[in-house]
Amino acid sequence: MAQKAFTKMETKNVDDMLFGETLHPVKLGLGQEAGNGMVYPNIKVAPAEGSEESIDGLEATSKNIAFAACQRVADIGLPSIQIETEHVQQQSISREASERCTAVTWEQLEELHDKFGTRVSLMSTVADMREEENGLRGSEFDIAMDESFEACAQNGASMLCIETVGGKVVSDYGISRGDARAILYGIGVLGSNDMEYMWTKIVDVAKKYNITPGGDTDCAQANTAMFLAGGFMSKNVSHTIAAVARAIAGARSLVAIECGATGPTKDCGYENPIVKSIASVPICAEGKNATCAHADLMGNLTAGVCDVWSNESVYNREEMGGPTPGVWLQSLGYECALMNTAKQIGTAKELRDSYVLADKYRDPQGVILAYDNAYRIGEAIVADGEDNYLRARAAALKAMDCINEAVDQGRILLTRFERDTLDSTYKTYEQLPDDSDKFLKTCIKRYSRKVKEHDIKQYDL
Amino acid sequence: MASPLEKYYEKFEDYEKIAIRYNVKIEGPALKPEDDPEVVEILAAAEGDKKTLALDVLYGDKDKTDSDVAEALDAGNDPIDLINNALMKGMDAVSALYTKGEYFLPDLMLAGDAMMSGVALCEAKLGHKADSKAKVVCCAVQGDPHDIGKNLIVMFLNANGYEPIDLGRDVPHETVVAALKENEPAMATATALMTTTMTGFGKIAALMEEEGLDIPIGCGGGAVRRDFVEETPHCFYGVEAYHTPKLADAIVDDGKTWEDIRKEYAAIVGEYVAAYS
Repeated sequence: MAQKAFTKMETKNVDDMLFGETLHPVKLGLGQEAGNGMVYPNIKVAPAEGSEESIDGLEATSKNIAFAACQRVADIGLPSIQIETEHVQQQSISREASERCTAVTWEQLEELHDKFGTRVSLMSTVADMREEENGLRGSEFDIAMDESFEACAQNGASMLCIETVGGKVVSDYGISRGDARAILYGIGVLGSNDMEYMWTKIVDVAKKYNITPGGDTDCAQANTAMFLAGGFMSKNVSHTIAAVARAIAGARSLVAIECGATGPTKDCGYENPIVKSIASVPICAEGKNATCAHADLMGNLTAGVCDVWSNESVYNREEMGGPTPGVWLQSLGYECALMNTAKQIGTAKELRDSYVLADKYRDPQGVILAYDNAYRIGEAIVADGEDNYLRARAAALKAMDCINEAVDQGRILLTRFERDTLDSTYKTYEQLPDDSDKFLKTCIKRYSRKVKEHDIKQYDL
Repeated sequence: MASPLEKYYEKFEDYEKIAIRYNVKIEGPALKPEDDPEVVEILAAAEGDKKTLALDVLYGDKDKTDSDVAEALDAGNDPIDLINNALMKGMDAVSALYTKGEYFLPDLMLAGDAMMSGVALCEAKLGHKADSKAKVVCCAVQGDPHDIGKNLIVMFLNANGYEPIDLGRDVPHETVVAALKENEPAMATATALMTTTMTGFGKIAALMEEEGLDIPIGCGGGAVRRDFVEETPHCFYGVEAYHTPKLADAIVDDGKTWEDIRKEYAAIVGEYVAAYS
């Protein structure tokens, strides 16, 4: 088993959780060291529609994005930049596209570094194109992804990341039906199991080319719950269920680190504060400067303990302030400047706490991701660290305890829908067996029947 | 370990100057779903077995729906009558509560599962599929594995008497067009989450034209924009999954074309739609 479980907290004191600070900083690209005193902006721009028609088009759009971003760095005096190339399928399916898009982006970053000494790095995120019904392991897409990771690593990537999709067919079923057991099984068990498979491979590639294995995100699952939960007027998923899914995702996304990834983790892993509390590795996060892509309810809070600060994604087009790579990088860069200033003048913890308190009671999701509660969830995970199911369940129960406490303290009110789903989920999880095998056996039988795409043979269980 | 944040709480004067949970503020009194005035009206004509079945669907209880349908069929009830005046009525009530914000996605999905399971039992008794208003071909386009939106569309179509042909996710354009040719649907829906997969809409439309077909294609999804969709003939921008049955009704009942829908979208769905304002 490649996964070496955390059974104790690396972060010894909750007050040590702070933006730009970790016990295990990571050197990246040219001149960057994430988690060692400085927060870096991470700019990500989606290839324009139509560019995917040819490799020439993808390469051209990659250069265009990187050029616009680097130009803005120079124009406003940013001390650092990380560009993330988050592949669309057409980039990952083709080794040549992976090679050329990575190389052309890195050329721009290297040129910026050579000219001004700017700290630069390139995060390459390969698209997880696999589908459970067509094979998570050894399928054509799985093999193409291996090739793509190699191609990125050989052509300038500073770090490798992915958003794995294992368990998504089951968690989607659970999220859309409020089936708490399916959410726990889909994210906590299947998601974790698939991550171990994928991250063992990614870490090997990164080691081979002496670059950084970054991290994962539960974008495919917990973010589905978060987006469907939406804003206060949304009629879809309960915000307390979204919070529970997120806590479970904390246990799941930790698997990358347990397999040898070092961070920075992926921006849209809103569960990253939980991962950081346990492993003290640098995390990438997004919030108020990612409103171009996500309308979350934690825009300030997520900055509290980040090490790299991202815009998530944006169309590559012109705004009144210029091309979007420049516009959104500028927004990120100023936020990082604020954090880096606070660190130098000794007000970092006050800024952290202002960020966090601004959103902690806006929504149950904020309650559990505030660093103090994320730390408590982390403690619950490591207490059952060696069993993916038990630790995911422990994370969920602790998250619900945190929400209930906030309600009891009069700091947040819940709707009936949120209250009912919290109570029923709590009851369900409390009554689940302590024996993993028993839980698995029941779930395999139940969800192989209910979810037609679920194929247990795609997992090592 | 005490939270470093504890020291601040006594300083908060009014958290509502920072954030307000409007969803809590606007909640009305708790009502049993069947006591909602609109639901009362929808279920007014359903009595006896039919009322029981409608309530089974309203509560999203698939197992009870199955056993009550079996019992009602054994008692000699007409399967078509049970579909149209019990199961569908229950689903109408669910849709009404969802539209009002009283019901949520899980209620809708569980009710949809219960209704479809009951319909399947009725159809087994009939020996053939029940009549539908029309077929609608639904897919998440090639290269796009995100299908929750498509699943919602399928559920809303089922609930409103249409026969969705669910092609699944990451569907090759050629497969979509083959399904259009084979099924001759009243409309199609295509969804995409990403900028680089939404170009699939135009490719489906072009292939469809080559086959000499003119079927309206409702296109929607996370990154999809109206201006982008309207660059392609046959396509119109779909904003919410629950709009789909009304758009299909406009095509089937009123003979609206994709061009009409582009002009009259908000009027057809009966609400203010910012993208069409």
